[in-house]
Amino acid sequence: MKEFYKNISDALSMLDGLEQDLNIRHLTPNELKVFYTIIIRSYQNNNGSNISDIVENSGMSRSTVYKTLKKLSAEGIIHLSQSDEDGRESLVLLNS
Amino acid sequence: MKNFFYLTLTSFIFSSILWILWHFLDTHAFFLAGKGAFFYLPHAARVLCVVYFGYRAIPGVYLGELAGPYVITPDMYAFSTLIPSFISVISVAFAIALLNSLGLTLGHTRSSPLNKRNYKHIFLITFISACFNALVVNLYLSRNNLSFSNAITDIEQVYRFFIGDILGTVIVFIFLATLLLPLLRQARIQ
Repeated sequence: MKEFYKNISDALSMLDGLEQDLNIRHLTPNELKVFYTIIIRSYQNNNGSNISDIVENSGMSRSTVYKTLKKLSAEGIIHLSQSDEDGRESLVLLNS
Repeated sequence: MKNFFYLTLTSFIFSSILWILWHFLDTHAFFLAGKGAFFYLPHAARVLCVVYFGYRAIPGVYLGELAGPYVITPDMYAFSTLIPSFISVISVAFAIALLNSLGLTLGHTRSSPLNKRNYKHIFLITFISACFNALVVNLYLSRNNLSFSNAITDIEQVYRFFIGDILGTVIVFIFLATLLLPLLRQARIQ
């Protein structure tokens, strides 16, 4: 069994190298967690989710969430818009 | 024995899934239909299983190769695929043995001439095995006057096999690197 997992680990290392060279991986595991939370929230709420919800659901710190949102927004993956109900609140929307 | 069982089962499932996926795309995906020969996904299962599990993975991959044409779509080929499938599966073992005879032994450390953890080395094995598979399978088909439906066993088919095996493997590798790895990382975080 140990040998089996070792072989699988070698295969994953190979894929990891490929991913790195293709420059696919540009999000850290924490950033990915925030990103996946945004995806899940966007399925639940079509009008966009507020940042507090994302902080709460991702389990990440507010600063990590803000940094990730900035990065995703700069890459055109999401966009931030002002809430109609509360002008101080920003809503996160996935770009289609 | 337990390890052999696990690797045989993994190889069989992986090989069968890729064959089913490939068959589905070849017959149902509107823009890929009929062009399956140019992206033969199951070659990735042959490469990955034989490289990472060793020669012991051959029975599992071979059974996976046969499951599709014999169980899922029995009337797909007009001839027995027992021998062509076997040649295809051992093509990877042949590539590894050839490189080994040239002093390029397969290992998993940086000092290994052929490193399992380096995708470029795996692509070299893919390239040689695709070449062997294309030549030997078509030689067998030609010698026995066998052909796929709506196709002639000629040099064009050799080229299709060669390109198809390489492209299919590259597609599967990129698919696994882009989808499987982030999912595993996500699972590890949770």
